[in-house]
Amino acid sequence: MSQEKVMDNNSREGNNLLEVRDLSLTLGGNRILENVNMDVKHGHIHALIGPNGAGKTTLIRSIMGGMPHKGTVRFLFGDNGRIGYVPQLLEFDHSVPITVFDFLFLMLRKTPLFVSRRKPMRSEILEILSATECEHLIDRGVGYLSGGEFRRVLLAQALVPKPELLLLDEPASNVDEVGARQFEQMLIDLKEEQGHSILMVSHDMQTILRIADQVTAINRTVTYDGSPDDLSLSDLLINVRPDVAKS
Amino acid sequence: MDLIYEVISGWAKAGYLPSIFEHTFMIRGLLAAIIIGPLLGAMGTVVVTKKLSFFTQTIGNAAMSGVAIGLLFGEPIEGTYAGLYGFCLIIALLMTFVKNRSRLSNDTIIGVVLAQVLGIGIIMMIVVTSQFNIHQVEGILFGSLITLNDVDLITLAAASLIVGILFAYNFNRVMLSGFNPILAKARGISPVFFEYVFVTLMTVVVVASLKLIGALLVLVLIVVPAAAAQNIVSNLRQFVWVSVVFSTISTTLGLLLSGLLPVPSGAVIVLVSSILFYGSLLLKPILSKGGISQGEV
Repeated sequence: MSQEKVMDNNSREGNNLLEVRDLSLTLGGNRILENVNMDVKHGHIHALIGPNGAGKTTLIRSIMGGMPHKGTVRFLFGDNGRIGYVPQLLEFDHSVPITVFDFLFLMLRKTPLFVSRRKPMRSEILEILSATECEHLIDRGVGYLSGGEFRRVLLAQALVPKPELLLLDEPASNVDEVGARQFEQMLIDLKEEQGHSILMVSHDMQTILRIADQVTAINRTVTYDGSPDDLSLSDLLINVRPDVAKS
Repeated sequence: MDLIYEVISGWAKAGYLPSIFEHTFMIRGLLAAIIIGPLLGAMGTVVVTKKLSFFTQTIGNAAMSGVAIGLLFGEPIEGTYAGLYGFCLIIALLMTFVKNRSRLSNDTIIGVVLAQVLGIGIIMMIVVTSQFNIHQVEGILFGSLITLNDVDLITLAAASLIVGILFAYNFNRVMLSGFNPILAKARGISPVFFEYVFVTLMTVVVVASLKLIGALLVLVLIVVPAAAAQNIVSNLRQFVWVSVVFSTISTTLGLLLSGLLPVPSGAVIVLVSSILFYGSLLLKPILSKGGISQGEV
C-alpha cells in the first residue's frame, strides 16, 4: 500500500493531479478491486462510473487513504494540498441539535464551540456557504435539511480550505431533477471559474455526458477509460447498468 | 479543607444556607455536586450524540468488581481507587477495542458485558470479604454521602479539572467524530482515536462520581440532563449549556433534598433530573412557539 504526495512543479490544466496504479483490494476474502489504473487531470471533471457493487465508493475511500490496499495512489501536489470530500450518504442522528453553523464550526475550528465567540465566525461561515448559494441555511438544524440542501452544505464545507481535488461520491443521489441540474451547474462553475479539479462517482448518465471531461468505468477492474465524447448512451448503460443493457 | 468546611458551616449557622449544611458530610456532598454536576452535563451531550448511554452504565456496573479487586490488593474499603480506576478503564477500553475490531454492534457488546461485570463483582466481593455486606454493595450501587471523605473530594476535584480541560480541548473533534465519523476522517480526524479519548475521560468521571451518585444511577445523571436539554434547544451551544445547568441543578438540589429526607443522595438527584426532563417536554411546545427552537445563533 502506498499513498504519496509529491511536489507539483507544473499544475497546468491537463497534467495529472492523481495517479492510481495497480490498485487491488480484498475484503473478507472477496476481491473488490483488481489492478485499477486511473489518472485524474488538473482542471477536469472526472466521472467514475460502474454498476452497483462495482467498488466505486471503495476506490474513493482507498484514494483517501481509508482502506488497506495494494498498489499506489500518487497525488501530484504538495504536502499542503488537501482533498475536499463529499460523502455518498451521511448517516447521523437527526435529533441531535446541530445547526449548519455548528456543523461547519466543528469541522473548521479547534476552539470549543460552546465557549467561542459566534459573531466573527458567523460572517466567515456565511461566506463559505455563499460558494454554494446556501447562506440562508446557516441557522437551520442539519436534521431538517432536504437532500439537495444538505448536498450544498456538504459541498461548501469540502471547498474550505481550497482543495487540490474534490471527491464527490454520488453528489446528485436523493436530489430531485431541478436540484440535480442546479448542482450540475455548480460543479461546472467550480471548474471553470475557480479552477477546481473534480473526481465524482455518478450514476446519472445524462450528467456524465453533459459535464464530464473524462470517464473511468469500473466493475472490480477498469472497463473503460477515456473521453465521454467517445461513449454513446448505450455504452454508458452497459457500464453503469449491465443488467438493463442486456435486457 | 477544614477552613472551607468552617466557612460554609458558618453560613449555615448564620441562616444563609439550610441548617443541614452545618454538617461536614453535607458540605463535602455539596462541593462534590457543584464540581461534578457541570462536567457530567457537558459530557452527557456527547454521550447522547454518540449513543453511549449503556456503555456508561457498564462502566458503572464494573465498579463492583473494581472495589473487590482493590480490596484483594490490600486497598482500604473507603478508597479502592487503583482497583476502581484500573478495572473500569480496562473494561471501557476493552469494549471500545472489541467494538472497533469486530463486526458486533455496540448494543450487542454492551449486552454481553453489562450484567457480567456486576455479577462477577458481587461474587468477588463475597469471596474477598468472606461475607455479604449489603451496606457496602448499597453504597456502591446507590451512592453514599456518609462515606464520602476528604480524599474522595480531592480526587474528584483533581479528576474533574483534568477531564474538564481535556474534554473542552477535544470537544469539537469528539463531537464531529460522534456525529459522523466519515466526515471527521476526511478532515484528518481519527474517530477511533477520539473515541478512546472520550471513553477514557468518561470512565474517570463516572468512577469519580460513584460515591455521590452510585453505580446504578450515574447513567441517568449523564443522559437525562442532556436529553432534557435536547427537548428545548436548537443548537449545539445551547445544548451544552442547558445540559450543564440541568445537571448542576439536579446534583445540588438532589443533594439538598437527600439531606432533608432519609434517602440515598443518588436516588434524589436522579429524581430531580427526571422532573427536569418531563418539565422540558412540557416546555417544548411553548418554546417552539416563542421561536427559541427556530435555530437562531
